[in-house]
Formats: sequence, structure tokens, C-alpha cells
Amino acid sequence: MISALLAPLIAVIVAPFFKPREAAVLSAVAFFAAFVGLLIDAFTGAYYRVDLVQAAEPVGNIYMFGDTVSHAFGFTIAFVSAMVALYSYPYMAHRFEEMGLGEDEFKKYWFLHNLYAASMLWLVYAGNLILLYVFLEISLVTSFLLIYMYGYGNRQWVALLYFVWTHIAGALALVGFLLIGFENKTLALDSIKTVSFLAWLLVFLGMIIKLPGFGAHIWLPWAHAEAPTPVSALLSPLTVGLAAYVLLRIYFIEPSFIIDHRIPIFAYGVLTSVYAGLAVFKQNDYKRLLAYSTVSQMGYILIAFTLGAAGILGVVIQYISHAFGKSILFMTAGAIIATFHGLRDLNKMSGMHEFVPTISNAALLGFMNLSGILTIGMIGEFYILKGLADTFGLPSAINSIAMATMLSVVIVFIISGLYSFYTMKRIYYGTPADYSKVLVHRLLDSPLYVIAILSILLLLPPFATWFIDALVKFLGVA
Amino acid sequence: MWLWLVLLLSPIIASIPIAVAWEFNRNIGRKLPVLSVVGLFISFLVTLYILLFVEEGRFSYPWLPGIEIAFIVDYLSKYMGVLTGFIAFVIGVYGLEYMKDDYRLGWYWFFFNLFTASMLMVVYSDNLLSLLIGWEGLGIASWGLIGHWFRDDDELSYVGVINRKVGFLKMFWSPSTGGWRAISTIRLGDMPMFFAVAAIFAFAGNLNISQIDWELLIEKIGSFGVAVLLLAFLMGPFTKSAQLPFSEWLMTAMTGPTTVSALLHSATMVAAGTYLFMRISWYIEPWKIHDAGIEFVYLLVLFLGLISSLYGALVALASRERKVLLAASTMSSLGLMFAAAAASKWIGEFAIVVAFWYLITHAFAKATLFLVAGHLIHETHDRFLCGDLEVAKKMKLTFVVTIIATVMLAGIPPLTAYWVKSAMDEVMHALHEVGEAPLFLLIVISAVYSAFLAKFLSMNFVKGRHVHLHLHGGGLMKTGYTLMVSMLFLLLAVILLGIDEHVEEFVKAGFHATSFMVGVLVTVAYAIGFVKPTLETKVGQVLADRFYLMALNDFIVPKIGWAFVTAVDYGNRAIDFFTHRAIPGLFESVSKGIRVLQTGRLSHYVQLALGALMLLLIVVSVAGW
Repeated sequence: MISALLAPLIAVIVAPFFKPREAAVLSAVAFFAAFVGLLIDAFTGAYYRVDLVQAAEPVGNIYMFGDTVSHAFGFTIAFVSAMVALYSYPYMAHRFEEMGLGEDEFKKYWFLHNLYAASMLWLVYAGNLILLYVFLEISLVTSFLLIYMYGYGNRQWVALLYFVWTHIAGALALVGFLLIGFENKTLALDSIKTVSFLAWLLVFLGMIIKLPGFGAHIWLPWAHAEAPTPVSALLSPLTVGLAAYVLLRIYFIEPSFIIDHRIPIFAYGVLTSVYAGLAVFKQNDYKRLLAYSTVSQMGYILIAFTLGAAGILGVVIQYISHAFGKSILFMTAGAIIATFHGLRDLNKMSGMHEFVPTISNAALLGFMNLSGILTIGMIGEFYILKGLADTFGLPSAINSIAMATMLSVVIVFIISGLYSFYTMKRIYYGTPADYSKVLVHRLLDSPLYVIAILSILLLLPPFATWFIDALVKFLGVA
Repeated sequence: MWLWLVLLLSPIIASIPIAVAWEFNRNIGRKLPVLSVVGLFISFLVTLYILLFVEEGRFSYPWLPGIEIAFIVDYLSKYMGVLTGFIAFVIGVYGLEYMKDDYRLGWYWFFFNLFTASMLMVVYSDNLLSLLIGWEGLGIASWGLIGHWFRDDDELSYVGVINRKVGFLKMFWSPSTGGWRAISTIRLGDMPMFFAVAAIFAFAGNLNISQIDWELLIEKIGSFGVAVLLLAFLMGPFTKSAQLPFSEWLMTAMTGPTTVSALLHSATMVAAGTYLFMRISWYIEPWKIHDAGIEFVYLLVLFLGLISSLYGALVALASRERKVLLAASTMSSLGLMFAAAAASKWIGEFAIVVAFWYLITHAFAKATLFLVAGHLIHETHDRFLCGDLEVAKKMKLTFVVTIIATVMLAGIPPLTAYWVKSAMDEVMHALHEVGEAPLFLLIVISAVYSAFLAKFLSMNFVKGRHVHLHLHGGGLMKTGYTLMVSMLFLLLAVILLGIDEHVEEFVKAGFHATSFMVGVLVTVAYAIGFVKPTLETKVGQVLADRFYLMALNDFIVPKIGWAFVTAVDYGNRAIDFFTHRAIPGLFESVSKGIRVLQTGRLSHYVQLALGALMLLLIVVSVAGW
């Protein structure tokens, strides 16, 4: 159902002309329609392609295509975007009021928000690396503008910081893409035959900055914490993980780079995840805390990349489960900001369940996603662990690598669980702080539950059966 | 398929109305707990139906590639299922009154029912991954229920004496801390277990407990591999069933409502760990496998169980809080279950049957005692052991029920637990290859166990300090524990009449002279415990303070963790400074430096150009070109 990809386009063009409330509904409906179509595609393992332009060498055929991996990323992006669109309405109304801007500001907002979300969606259906890069740039520019105009704190500085970092990532990847193009005389994904070491390295480094890995991770807490929260709820769950998608596409063409450097990449993934996971404990800003947790979760993806076919399945599911969990969590942070006039400091929060029980319960569901409890995250963790056993075998007297890898992944997973419930305790449990119970805008909490329900459904038959079957068939996992 | 859906979903679905209504309209919400209990009742009926009418066998439904959602009805699951269904239902009824005025009923009932459904999933699952769904459900529900009173504002919901400190240790715990300690300990065990499950799938290609070919697996991965795999797997049961050194969370789990403690300590959660060990042992059949790795693991479980059991019993002996005493005693019982089941390596299937029957007996007795403790806390507004004869007089039924539950569980001949314990004596006695230590430990534990049960009775109804009673209502609560305790008579009948073919051996064991001697010893211990129930010495203090094991949870591990966290934080600051201050700063100064040259005067530029040319010439001539 390639037409599913057109629905968001309508939203991009039309939504700014509606009143804010109607525009929210319209955007949500458009993305939700796309979601339903793509979910069915994912279940049935549909494949399609549409040729756009036959460009000159080294660009080659520019086309859009969809396979099971595209659908898996696609329905996640469409679904989260739909829910964030609904959520944006009350949140941005509050933000504009706070900034002294009028309702007209919504016109700009809807255009940018929808274009941003749509460009991510189209990115995972792009059949040519140049087209993919164009969508990547659109998503960067739109998100940059959203942070620049509506962010918090020193927002212009943060937006620039975000822009510079992600452009270093983009430029490295672009050079890598071009090298691939010169080597193969085409950039069409279906015609690329080889990827040289240098090209792989450049794309990999670029995506490591975007993902981000340890070292480069330092930009992410700034950008994700200071962005307006609906934008954070797209940036953190969807955008950074797209780096994994790009790497996946290159991996499908030429996996040797990852396989040859399995141990260092694995170790780097563990370092990223453990380091960022530990950093979560120290954060006092709710959104910064979540941003560090994103880095930690992206470490899972680096780890999973090195673990063979089951690991690749783990990458895809981990993207989905993290997207669901983190979008819920960022929206809980936003709900508290909107309801308690900018409250983000954890030191001023305690027993918040007393005042915003629906938000607290949603946060629990979000953290359950991150720690892989009763949600699709559990399947993701399972396949990562299976990949681990497949790849490194069982610990034995002569296999100390297996022992080290097993322990490190187990520690990575434990840390996620610990910071999740530690944060729950810090924010929502304990003696209630000095606030009074308030009514939360319905659009600030109900979309979170819709996401959570899908996440639980995807753990159980029949959804899990259809979806994982299709993925396994496509990836050829034994 | 419908049978399983009804079994697992009816408690959950029945609790959703109250969970939702509670957020919007509490008046409607207050009327809905009955519905949740109806859901539990339906589940109970289904478990009964399975026991009576469903033939033993497997039922599987497609889930993931190569992995099914599979249920099994066999000797263990059919009894365990009814046990869970019945206990959850009765505690549900009790909870209708006990939790009547609570401020968070939606949460309570939802998680209570989720807890039950998760346990049923664990009980009947044949597939390890579908079992893990239930397993994780238990974890999250226990977190929700232990921290139920999240406001931390009620002294009655704490554990320990408020504001008491020993050295650097705070010796009191709030509900939110209790919840955190539970989930953090459980996660520690669940992740290695999860890895083991994935690895079994990777190597055996099958996750159905009844179908995994362990001998083939041993051939494939060797003794060491199997030992690592099993130990990683058992980390789950060890943490969930609170074996050393993971026991602290269980003690502070008492911050939850008493109904939760009753459920958690009898048929769900902690029982899940031992039950799972029995279930996999049932199919591993370790007595048929001759492998050093397997033997090592079972030996470890045997002694870990016995030592944990001794620890729990000693702590219970000196404990001063009603619920903490019972919690420690549960830990002790769980240790015995592990030990007895592990003895199957040398004894065979019979040892698992003994462990299983001990689980059943313990479940009813412990649930009864918790429900009694809850009622007492309600009437005395005191969570410490207290109450003199006046309590016994004014709460006659409660007093009688407590007597029955304690003597029946202690192992006094010829009552219910006596027969099971006798069989256990016999099992430990037959462990010639391991030596005499297990039997000796078991006898010591049995005596201490009996003594603290008598202490519980004595300190609450006879010799405790005088308390003021606030008697009101209590009808449903009394019904609850009376029903529960009556099950112990049913068990006694089953054993003595030989209704179950596996337990005939119990009666024979009971008539052995050694068993009877142990029975007498236990009876004497009971009498001593009753007459002298307090242990107010320095040793007693150490026992009551649980050998200061909380240092591990509250001091050592957090200190190490925070050291890492602090180091990471400094690391982040350094990277942040380097990339966002130092590098931009460098750019700025370079740019300033370059701009110094740009003066806009032609003569200046000519001078520079000439100077550069001179320099170039000098370099060239020096280089010898």
C-alpha cells in the first residue's frame, strides 16, 4: 500500500490552513492511516517499488520501495507521529502562550512538524542513497528549526549545536555514499554490489555520531532536553534510530565490515550503553535523564548489529520498542512541564503519582518498554540474547569471550531495568511534594496509552506471530 | 484455547473497570472490587475444571517462529493451578474488607489480578519464553503491590523501627523503598535467566520444558556449559524465591498491604521460583543423567537452600514484627523446598513430590497466618508482635485458627506437615553420597521453625504486651482465614486416606522411629517457643537485624554503583567541555588571530608578501635546492 505514504503529504500541505485543533486531528488521522496501511504490509510481508527518475551516473535509478524492514520502521514512525500530533496541540498551545506567541504560530508548527515526521517516514522507503540523504537533510533542517524557534533554555545555541553535530554525521555519510556511488556507478540500493572499507567506515562513523555512540553522545542530551517536548518525542524515539536503519541497508549489501570488526563494535556498544545508563542515575532534569537513556538504548542497537541474523532481528525490534517506550516517556515529561508550569527538576518532584496518576501510570508503561517487561521490548531482548548465544557460544573453560560478552549484555539489560524503576521511585513515588491535584488535558495522556497498548499487543499472538514471522522470513533467521 | 484465555484473561479483564473508574469517579470505583473478585473466582473455577476434567497433556498455540505458547497439564501444574486459583480467590474475598477504605483501589485490584494471572501463566506454561511472560508479570505486579502505599506517609506500612540507625545503616524502609528493593533484586536474576532461555533456544532449538533433550544438550555444550547455563537460569528462581544473598527484598516486601504479603508468600511470586525449579527438574530427570555439571548445580542448590533456610529460621526466631517474622519464615520454607527438590538428583522423582507437597502445605498455612496477621494489625493498629490473653479472648476464632495453622505447619505428629516433613527427613537421610550434613541441618531448621511459630502464637495472643483493641467488622476477614486453614485438614485427609498415589510413602515415612523422634523434638521446641517467646539478648539483636545483610543492598552495592556513576558524570563534563567549549573556543581564537592580519592597508600586505617570499627563499636555500 504505497498510497499509505501519500497520506502524510496531504497533512503537510493542508494542515497549516486549518485551526490548530482541527489541524492536530487531521495530521493524526493522516499519519494513523499511513500506520494502518503499513502495519498490514508488515504483517503480510508486502513488497513494492515505484520508479521516480532515472538519473545520470553515479546517482542511478531513483525509486521508492517497501519491504518488511521498511514497513517495520515505517509503521513505527507513522504511529508515533500520529500520537505526537495529537499531543502537540495542547502542549504547543501552552508553549506558545508561555512564549507570548499567538495561535498563528501553529501554522508554522504544523508545517514543520508534519514535514519532519513525513521525511523520516519517506526515508525508510527511499531506494536510492541520494534520495535517502535528501530526506535525512529535510528531517534535520525541520527539527533544527523547531528547536531554534520553540526550544527551551539557550535554544539558539542548542539548535546550532544540534545542527553542527548532525551535519558532521551527514557529511561523513554523504562522502561515504558518494564513494559507494563512484565504486558502483550507481546509488540505487538494488544495484549496489560492493561497499569498500573506506566507504563503510565513513558511513559508520557518520551514523555513530547520529546514533550516537560514546563520545559523540554528548550532543544528544542538549538537543533532546531543550527541544519542545513533542519534538523531543520524535527526535529521541524516531530520528536517532534512523542511523540504525541506514546501517542496516548497507549491512544488507555488504555485512563484512561489521562481521570483521565484531568484537570492537560490540565492546563499543557495551561501553556506550553502560556509560550512558550509569549517567541516567545522576540526571536531575527529567528530559535530560530520558536523553541519556536513549543513548543507552542505542547502545543495544550497536551490540545487536554484531550478533548475526538474530541480532539484526533484534535491531529492528529494539528500534520499535525503544520508539514506543521513549515517546511515551518524553510525553510524560512534557505533560508535567505543561501542567506544572515548566517543572522539570527531579529535585522538586516527589510522589507525583498523587497529582498526575494517569501520567505516572503511562511512565510505568514506558519504562516497561525500555526494560523489556510485558511489551515488545521483551522479544527484542530475547533475539539479542539468542544472537549472543549463536555468535559467541556458551561460556566455557576455553571460551572466555563468551563469558565476557554474556556478562556485559546481561549488565547492560540490568542497568536499564534499574534506572527505569529508580526514576519511577524518584519522580512518582515517595512523599508527595507540595503541589495540588490538577486536571491533565486529555490529549496529554490518552495518546500515551494508545502507544502502550500497541506495544503490548505486539508481544502477543496474533500480532506478534504475524509480524515476527514476516520479519524472520525476510531476514532469513534460522 | 478458550479455556486458557478465560483462565488467564478473566482476572485481568475483570479488574480493568475499577482501574479505569478509579481515575474518574471514585464512587463508582468503590463498588467495583467485587467484580475483580468475580474474575478471580472464574479463574479458580477453570483451574478446578482443569484438575478434574482435563486430561494430562500439552496444549500449544503458535506464537513466534519455533516458539509456541504452550500449556501443560501434569501432576505438578494441575495441583499448583488449583492452589493458586483458590488462594488468590480467598485472599481476594478477604481483601474486599481489608482494603475497603484504601486510597488507591484501582491500582490495587488491577495489580492483584495481574499478579494472579501471571502466576497461572507460570504454573501452566510448558514453554520457557511464554513462562517468562508470566514471570515478568509477577515481577512488575509485585513491584506495584509492594509499593502500593507509595506516599510513604503511614507508619503502619513501614518495615523496621522508624528513625532507627545502626552505624551507617538506616534500619527502616518505606513502601517505595520496598518496591525498589524488590524490583532491583529481581532484575538482577531475571536477566541471566533470560540469557539462559535464549541460549537453550539457540543450542537445543526448543523451549518446551517437557521436550528439551538435556542429554543431547550436554553432549553439545559439555558439562561446564550446562552448569553455566543452569546457574544462569537459576538466578531467576534464586532471586524470586529470596535465597541468600538475595533475601533482603522479601523482608521489606512487607511494606505492601497484608493481602499482598499473603498472596506473595503462599502461592505466587516466591513460590514461582521453587515451583519452576521443581518443574524443570521433573523433566530434566537429573537422577538419570550422570554429568559432573548437573551434579555440581544440584549440590549447590541443595546447600544454598538449606543454608538460606537456616538463616531465615534464625531471623524469624528473633524478629519483632508480625509480618517480618512470617516473611523470614517463608524464606526458610523456600530453602527447604529448594533443598528437597535438589535432592532428587540422588533420590529421584520422589524428592520433588516431597518438595511439592511441602509447598502446598506451606502455602495454605502461611496464607492463613498472614491473613491473621493482617486482621491483628487492623484491630491493634500495631505491626509489631503484641497482644495478651485479652486478644485471645476477644478474638477467639482468630486465636484458634492461629493455633491450628502453627501446629499443623510446625510438623507436630500426627498433623499435616508432620507427614510431609517425615518424608523430607527420609529424603535427606538417604543422601549418603552427600553425607550427614543435610539431615542434620534439616533437623535443626525444623526445631527452630517450630519454635518461632509458637512464638508467633504466644506473642500475639498470650504473652505479648497489652494492647488496645479496635474491634469492628472483620466478618469477611474471618471467613477468609477460616476457609484457608480448613484446607490443611483437607490435605491431612488426602495424605492419610492415600487419595493421591504419590503420598502413600509419606505415611510410611511418618511411622519410622527417626521421623517420630524428630516429631517429638519439634513438639518440645514448640513448647519452649511458646513459654519463652522472646530473645532479647545481643545475639537476638543480631538475628533480628538479619545479620546485617541489608548492608549489601543499602550500602555496599549502592556505594560501588555511585562511584561508577560519579566517574561517568565527570567524564561527561569533560567531554562536554572539550567539544562544546574548548573546540569552539579554539576556532574563535584562530579566527581572531587571522583577523589581526587583515588590517586593510596595502603596504602592510606587501610587507607580509615580501616577508613570506624571503622566508620561502631561505627555506629553499637551506634545503639545498
